[in-house]
Amino acid sequence: MKLNIEGLLVYFPYDYIYPEQYSYMLELKRTLDAKGHGVLEMPSGTGKTISLLSLIVAYQRAFPLEVTKLIYCSRTVPEIEKVVEELRKLMEFYTKETGESNNFLALALSSRKNLCIHPEILHANIVVYSYHYLLDPKIADLVSKELAKKSVVVFDEAHNIDNVCIDSMSVNITRRTLDRCQTNVDTLQNTIHKIKETDAAKLREEYRRLVEGLKEANVARETDIYLANPVLPDEILQEAVPGSIRTAEHFVGFMRRFLEYLKSRLRVQHVVQESAPQFLKDIFEKVCIDRKPLRFCAERLQSLLRTLEIADIADFSAVTLISNFATLVSTYSQGFTIIIEPFEDRTPTIANPVLHFSCMDPSIAIKPVFQRFQSVVITSGTLSPLDIYPRILDFRPVTMASFTMTLARTCLCPLIVGRGNDQVALSSKFETREDFAVIRNYGNLLLEMSAIVPDGIVAFFTSYVYMENIVASWYEQGILENIQRNKLIFIETQDAAETSMALEKYQEACENGRGAILLSVARGKVSEGIDFVHHYGRAVIMFGVPYVYTQSRILKARLEYLRDQFQIRENDFLTFDAMRHAAQCVGRAIRGKTDYGLMIFADKRYARADKRGKLPRWIQEHINDGSLNLTVDEAVQLSKHFLRQMAQPFRQEDQLGLSLLTLEQLESEEMLQKITQIAHQT
Amino acid sequence: MICGRDHGDQNTAQIVDLGFTLHRRRRNRLLKSVVQTEMDEQGCPRCKTTKYRNPSLKLMVNVCGHTLCENCVEMLFVRGSSNCVQCDTPLRKSNFRVQLFEDPTVDKEVEIRKKVLKIYNKRDFDFPSLREYNDYLEQVEDIVYNLTNNVDVENTKLRMEQYQRENRDVIQRNKAKLTREQEELEELLLQEQQSNEQRRLEVLQEEQRQLQAKRKNKQALLDELEQSQLPATLLLAQHKVRAAQLETQIEQQKQAVKPTSLFSTGIHMRQTVSLQPVTKIEDVLYHYRPLQVETYGPPVPELEQLGRLGYLNHVRAAVTQDTAGGYTSGLACYRAIQDAFSGLFPLRG
Repeated sequence: MKLNIEGLLVYFPYDYIYPEQYSYMLELKRTLDAKGHGVLEMPSGTGKTISLLSLIVAYQRAFPLEVTKLIYCSRTVPEIEKVVEELRKLMEFYTKETGESNNFLALALSSRKNLCIHPEILHANIVVYSYHYLLDPKIADLVSKELAKKSVVVFDEAHNIDNVCIDSMSVNITRRTLDRCQTNVDTLQNTIHKIKETDAAKLREEYRRLVEGLKEANVARETDIYLANPVLPDEILQEAVPGSIRTAEHFVGFMRRFLEYLKSRLRVQHVVQESAPQFLKDIFEKVCIDRKPLRFCAERLQSLLRTLEIADIADFSAVTLISNFATLVSTYSQGFTIIIEPFEDRTPTIANPVLHFSCMDPSIAIKPVFQRFQSVVITSGTLSPLDIYPRILDFRPVTMASFTMTLARTCLCPLIVGRGNDQVALSSKFETREDFAVIRNYGNLLLEMSAIVPDGIVAFFTSYVYMENIVASWYEQGILENIQRNKLIFIETQDAAETSMALEKYQEACENGRGAILLSVARGKVSEGIDFVHHYGRAVIMFGVPYVYTQSRILKARLEYLRDQFQIRENDFLTFDAMRHAAQCVGRAIRGKTDYGLMIFADKRYARADKRGKLPRWIQEHINDGSLNLTVDEAVQLSKHFLRQMAQPFRQEDQLGLSLLTLEQLESEEMLQKITQIAHQT
Repeated sequence: MICGRDHGDQNTAQIVDLGFTLHRRRRNRLLKSVVQTEMDEQGCPRCKTTKYRNPSLKLMVNVCGHTLCENCVEMLFVRGSSNCVQCDTPLRKSNFRVQLFEDPTVDKEVEIRKKVLKIYNKRDFDFPSLREYNDYLEQVEDIVYNLTNNVDVENTKLRMEQYQRENRDVIQRNKAKLTREQEELEELLLQEQQSNEQRRLEVLQEEQRQLQAKRKNKQALLDELEQSQLPATLLLAQHKVRAAQLETQIEQQKQAVKPTSLFSTGIHMRQTVSLQPVTKIEDVLYHYRPLQVETYGPPVPELEQLGRLGYLNHVRAAVTQDTAGGYTSGLACYRAIQDAFSGLFPLRG
């Protein structure tokens, strides 16, 4: 159908449209008009992707000079494939409607082995790839450097974007990294020796270039051709490489000293935490390394690798990592912390020293993106609370909106179970972790649910350790045996192969009617990327609140930083983080309007306003007073009622006019008024 | 495929089994890392002791960059000096240092570098352009490289000595100065320290305040319960409301207390102030030469002669009020005569 969105002609490749899709496109258009950034939350399964694509493509066609390119970033390969599929549909629709063969070029970059560096990428109208291509400075420099300024960047499934940013800037150095780096440095030295004998002119040429300085790169940045790279700070471009690392031998000697220093730092007996300036001061005292050559380290190494014509850069990943670390630590005096741990927390007797150089400020990695591109849209099914994202990513959005799901029938049923049948409070909090009464009641809940819910149930625990404990306990108490009378049990482990095997068998069991339960972990693989449509997930049970492991020093440092820099309190952030993961987990079950599922939050803490308020609006709307602090029995009664209702036949006609619209229905005055209420501005 | 209870049991078995494999895998990984660190361990080249066999082994290194363990040093250098076991360089016992790095040549290099940098301590502002500074840095690097790798040692040493002689003043002057980068760094560290301290104080004060407020509140409740005629439940409810209010108040009261870190002169409190004497300016002494004014007229009598020559006879004598400011009748007369005499002769040539 052809839509008219505030004067913009949008081709929409389906015959029907959801009201929230229309509302979403409206907001999106306003964002593009304003040439600003936006944060949009819309429930999963309501056609976010196609709304985004069709609007932006239409916009590109209407204003080819305003928006030249769409950069669509998603998280995983299957998601990228889904986007490409939708895009294909849209393009087919365009050819059918307009009759002309379209000249749109779309490009998907899926994995590094399919990496395309053909200049054609510059002319593609749509680029679809993973976050890392834009956020990770190492890859971004290769792929995204030359993307035009007038592009629209979309981050889909962006609820974890701050963690992606942080991971892309953080560096972990172990003893193994250093050993590999040592080999790299030795290889470099040998190659330099060899080249000196055979082709000394090459090194001289490089030397001459370095004396001149990195002027070319500077010109490029000033004329705004390239995306800024956070590992290549501005000051570097305006200066020449310092004399102390100008020749190849001196640079190798410099790296050797730096390496030995790091090795000596890893030989610690207790945990050390220090800031970047402290580290720099210490390194000057110990091995006489100044801040300035450190800052040029990454760039100098790249130049050397280019000069030596080393083809297989992957072999030099260790030394590249170390040089990036050197540049980062000397460039940013804030936003990073250095933590050296002599052993892992779980095994305090075995030495396994790690130097964590952890980024605490996600805005550092994403800053070039916000600065360069005229519109950046952050969108996901679960972005609540919306206002925290602009704060931690440090940008000013022009639109922030959360959309609800219009439903012809209430197809989701969130229940908060706070007590067992024996009135014992259910909670995964630390004090009651080992409490048999709680574990028994959790088991009871799963048992009762397995008796009444058809097909698949997915249960999430807060951590692998917790899951192991509970399952062992259930086994001893015989609960597991009782559950298996109703359904098969499968388990997610940290091993990817085992997990995918379990997943496959789980789906098989759901398919043939035996029914199955998948026990998995929040923040695990299952909770993030895998959808349980229809009978694959009729109920999701969230055992406990998935707080992150708070004793980790890196997390503590980050919380402190958030408090000092962004005035976000520790507890607020922890709750926010736990709730977004809980929302992700329970959101796995509802992947569309015809789907239905139970969402059971089994912890009394969910009933509190501060936790509940952080759930996405489309879930919150369906939590009423009657579904708070239930006992297991009450939850079972409500579930039975809900499932019976849902089992009634449901046809498309039932949805029409309510949650699914034809073009005529959409254009009615009454509906347009309703649509304006869908978007919830903040 | 999957049907019946038997499979269920199998699955349980699988669960338990999975747990075991997990543990085993983790343990294996850890064992591997232990083995690796052991292999990395170095030992004394003379007595072949390793750190694994003797955990308290202390490796030492001297100027030549060869390692010896502490015991061997004690044994070989009883008389204070001897030759290196590996390269026969004459060494002193007092020059032995604890080896900090795994690669003893790095120890040696750092030692040399520190020495060289003491002499070559010019800063970026000593050079007219960045280019020259960079050339200088490279030169320094060359010297260190030569000395470390025993390339052309004699010449390099001569060069260093010559440089030292030529630049004695600069070296002396720069001794106490930090480079600009280092100054920045120091400042950052200072800031960090201050903000940490401030934060600690704030938290402490905050806790104190909260504690006091809560205590007071509790006491108030007890007093009320004792004296008031109202029912206890009402009072308790009131107390609850008040406690909640207090909580919110505490939340809001986060006033920043700025510590004093500056002296009134603007100098940071813990900053090291340079106490060196101000450098003297050497210049030629100033000699006074009387001013020669070309008046183009007959010579004017000197100020002292005016009275004697009778010029002052017809000038009004200064009254006491006038003399207070330093006025004399001679001054006005002198000025008037200069005025009258100048420019009387026509210009020559």
